Amino acid sequence: MTNDTELSDADLVARLPHVHVEHHDAPHHRGWFDRRLLINRCGACGTWHHPPRPMCPACWSWDVEPTPVSGSGTVHLAMLLHQGPPAPDVDYSKGPHPVVTVDLDDAPGVRYTSTVVGVDPSEVVIGLAVELDWIERHGAPFPVFRRA
Amino acid sequence: MRSPAKDQVAFVGVGTTGFTRHGSRSALELGLEASTKAILDAGLTADDIDGVVAVGEPGAPSAPQLIAALGLDAVTHVSRPAPVVMNGITDAVAAVFSGACDHVLVCSAMLMLPWASRGAARDPFRSRVPSGSPGIPESIAMAPAYAAWAGRYLYETGASREVFGRVAVNSRTNAAANPLAVLRDPLTLDDYYAARMIREPQCMLDMDIAVDGADAFVLTTTERARDLPHTPVLVHAASLGLIGKNTEDQLPSLARHGQHVVVEALRAKSDLWIDDVDLFYPYDGFTNITVGWFENCGWCGYGEAEDFLRDNWVDDQARLLLRGRVPVNTHGGSLSEGGTRGTGHVREAVTQLRGAAGERQVDGASVALVTPGGFFFNSQGAVLRRDG
Repeated sequence: MTNDTELSDADLVARLPHVHVEHHDAPHHRGWFDRRLLINRCGACGTWHHPPRPMCPACWSWDVEPTPVSGSGTVHLAMLLHQGPPAPDVDYSKGPHPVVTVDLDDAPGVRYTSTVVGVDPSEVVIGLAVELDWIERHGAPFPVFRRA
Repeated sequence: MRSPAKDQVAFVGVGTTGFTRHGSRSALELGLEASTKAILDAGLTADDIDGVVAVGEPGAPSAPQLIAALGLDAVTHVSRPAPVVMNGITDAVAAVFSGACDHVLVCSAMLMLPWASRGAARDPFRSRVPSGSPGIPESIAMAPAYAAWAGRYLYETGASREVFGRVAVNSRTNAAANPLAVLRDPLTLDDYYAARMIREPQCMLDMDIAVDGADAFVLTTTERARDLPHTPVLVHAASLGLIGKNTEDQLPSLARHGQHVVVEALRAKSDLWIDDVDLFYPYDGFTNITVGWFENCGWCGYGEAEDFLRDNWVDDQARLLLRGRVPVNTHGGSLSEGGTRGTGHVREAVTQLRGAAGERQVDGASVALVTPGGFFFNSQGAVLRRDG
């Protein structure tokens, strides 16, 4: 279903110490290592959902397919963390860290939450058009957004 | 909507430890103090308690641990609901109404968690309390969701942060008269605007205050309650409320979420609504939750809370009196009394409806609307009324 790199389940968990990975969302996180954003889409009714679940919440089909999306979208929620959980690439003392929830163009009804890189925090506002980018965190790819 | 339990189950006992930011006691100690006080307040003994609802706060004692520590004789109903408070109260009401038990203890013991409090982080005994912290910055699960949706509210409605600031000021004004509260110094809107940003647009004063402490309640049938020492406070209607898309970042909109489900259920079950209530206890774990409850209960429409709060503000008292008479969170709420996840709101409502709130007492208070919880997975509410 995907161009899986040959990451074993054990390697996947070991390489994402900052993420709680389960059987049903492993394909989504495995996609990060191909720098592909995979969102679950129902093979029966076409409904998209996120976070990944093993069964379509709209029609109860188990035929859910992790499907690549571009990651382009529009900021729906935005906040600036002046303090928060630690991450190796985040330094709150240098300024607030933006966190956005984005309506994905390719997956109607689904949002994806991450940060926005390459912009001043004051520019991170609801309605901003963004596209997908990738950074490294703990030596693994991590999906982020940048201004479109 | 069916409401067979209407007025059939009553609060008969209340116990609290009060709250502190300098805790040095275990959750079991706190829970036992509140529980024994609640049972004695009800005029009961250990042998009378046959149901135990042990609210699943992180680190809090389990039902079997409470039963052992209290030396109870025989228990026929136990549960461990997640916070917020009404998860435990609705379970207690159902257990008593169904006959699963006769006298049920609800105990909720709160500990400051190491990730949320510097003082707690220095306590070696807390190092193994399970964390409720989100793991990475780029998540709006749990608490950060409220900052994210507060920004959306301001964007959609054109309101200013004044709407949130008034909630904070009202809370602090009321806390001054509550000896249990941890924050009792007066607050102004200017203080609110000057407060440190945490998750912009939310500042320190938009967030409740982490505390150590416990609250406990005893409930039984209304019939039995009438033979006990205090005026019974009846559970007239109660409900929880969730929608399917309740994940914080996938919530379709502020136009319909858990709070709306609660209000629909309460309005269908209750004979009493906002025209009838003397007291209002909207949750204030974050100030935008309170704003949501004002609007979704129908005190005003969506986006109208800023004007509504301004219009119902009593300048010389620095607090809200809705429609000139209904005070809001008379104990100071979670923002100022302490972050009890709604047990403080319920305790204060019961205390007021008994007529036992001392200098805070609202004359003639007979009906309270209590709406704990936020938008996603813990929206809940109850209409409580004084017996008779």
